[in-house]
Amino acid sequence: MAYLSEYNYYTNNGVAPEDANWGSYQYVSLYDIVNNFQLMYTGNNSLVNNEDRYKIIFHAKRGIQELNYDAFKEIKVLELDVTENLRFVLPPDFVNWVRVSLYLDGLLRPMTENIQVLSSNAYLQDNKGNILFDVNGNILKPENSNIDMDRLKGTKKDIYLNPGNMFDGLEGWNIDGTWYFDYALGARFGLNTSTANINPTFAIDKKKGVINFNSDMANKICILEYISDGMEAGDDSQVLVNKLFEKYIYAYINYEILNSKLGVQEYIVARARKERGALLRNAKIRMSNIHPSRLLMAMRGRDKWIK
Amino acid sequence: MINSVRNTVLSILNKNNYGYISPSDFNLFAKQAQLEIFEEYFSKYNDIVNMQNVRRSGSEYGDELKAIEEAMEVFSRVSHLTRSSSNNYFLPSIVTTGDDYYLLNKVSCYTDKLSTGTNTGISVNFLVDSAANFITDGIEEDDIVANDDTGGVAVVLEVSSATTLLLSDDIFQSTGEEYSIYDESTVSESEKVNHNRIDMLKQSLLTAPSNKYPIYVQNSTTLKVYPKTINSAGQVWSQYFRYPSDPKWTYITLISGEPAFDQTQPDYKDFELPMDDEYKLIAKILQYSGISIREADVYTFAKREELEQSQQSQTTK
Repeated sequence: MAYLSEYNYYTNNGVAPEDANWGSYQYVSLYDIVNNFQLMYTGNNSLVNNEDRYKIIFHAKRGIQELNYDAFKEIKVLELDVTENLRFVLPPDFVNWVRVSLYLDGLLRPMTENIQVLSSNAYLQDNKGNILFDVNGNILKPENSNIDMDRLKGTKKDIYLNPGNMFDGLEGWNIDGTWYFDYALGARFGLNTSTANINPTFAIDKKKGVINFNSDMANKICILEYISDGMEAGDDSQVLVNKLFEKYIYAYINYEILNSKLGVQEYIVARARKERGALLRNAKIRMSNIHPSRLLMAMRGRDKWIK
Repeated sequence: MINSVRNTVLSILNKNNYGYISPSDFNLFAKQAQLEIFEEYFSKYNDIVNMQNVRRSGSEYGDELKAIEEAMEVFSRVSHLTRSSSNNYFLPSIVTTGDDYYLLNKVSCYTDKLSTGTNTGISVNFLVDSAANFITDGIEEDDIVANDDTGGVAVVLEVSSATTLLLSDDIFQSTGEEYSIYDESTVSESEKVNHNRIDMLKQSLLTAPSNKYPIYVQNSTTLKVYPKTINSAGQVWSQYFRYPSDPKWTYITLISGEPAFDQTQPDYKDFELPMDDEYKLIAKILQYSGISIREADVYTFAKREELEQSQQSQTTK
């Protein structure tokens, strides 16, 4: 791909969206990667020859996916309203979450993942406990399980957190923003620290593709930070790699091809593997972007008086 | 070169009164000999590459690969492939491209459509569309114009005005014909895949064919390009090696009955091989002639000559 003129970079040649090229120089496209790899690493006098292009594309994309999972730090952010159904449908390119936050009063409030079950499937049963089927032999299911109904209605218990308040740490019901508690009888058995947070909690149902919240979250704004695999919904022209990882991607493709090819000497495979590993470490160090001015800001706290 | 080859062959044959071969026999033998040498180029190319890979081949003046590539590329052709139906295109042939192909080296696709429309006027070698604005559409020299109705393809030689393009060929014969113009600079090379791979490839999320990475499968007379959106005239072109044309030693018959060489005849055709292959042509034609006139000595002599030449070139490696 040709270099952009400065006018093209800043204004996209006057064509909307005019910001299309901003920051584009940080990246190299999948097309360039495959093209350059074929030019420079394959052919009659190269270690890789007679290899199908689709294999090169496959390994290039797999390498980019792996980088997206941890090394790139390309975090996507999506804001959605959580309605009465207390559900946030995961975005189409979701692979894993980084942070889920409640956006309230102009502040981001990171929420805690609730490792307890918040949602469940259910089967309809008769009064003897037998499971009910339809005429096609499929199990009949209710719209919501009891645990889901309790959560949606706010009749499921949560822990109330409000330091200084006499009810702090007690389990109770949050109904339309008002907390209700059992009359305190007997002992309290300590705080469940995994959910001890004043903000609503959530649990991700990966199979169903939703984030479930407790009832505090109704009609509030949720911001999801997540990572994708960089495949851009199959649009190859949008698949990009940060230039800091360009050499690594070539090494990754080279290694994967040599490793799966019959008759390649083990020392050549080992050499390719070492090169791949070394380049990944280099690229990660570069990506971490450690430089004096950043360290300086952190080090300024060293003389702070701690009371 | 053909007359020199024939004279040498006849001279060797006549030396011991072995016999005489007629012009028609010579032409038949010449065709076979040329074909044999032509096919040897490809196996020799492979040998030289293997020599290079074991560091037993020179560079600069010792670069044999360069010489063999030059000899092969004489037969290289680039042609647009004629569309058969939907995403099927005819392979190069005498009927569609004017040449039979020996090896389909590369198939590429134009995927960036710059403009479409219907021509409103007729002028030889021009595309005229009063409703178009070829300048704002970004049409430039060397872009590809396809007549979607007739399948004709031409190259833009000049953007004469916003509504008129000068083309390399006269592909519009009447008004109201639809056309498409493709960006010549956006080319995607199509990869050949086997029939047993195509379905798996199409269903793979990571390797499914796309405009950037098209693929094709080959059938007896056509090839099928994927993705299916590549389905218009002018979108697919190929670079291939054609077979050499049949050599023909042409003559005029003199009163004495002896044929005299005449290269002004319309069907005259010289060999297409380089001069340094002349001795091979002579040796091979002599072999055929020896069989033809039932002279084992001639065949043996020619075969020995050929072997010696071959061994000589091997020892220099």
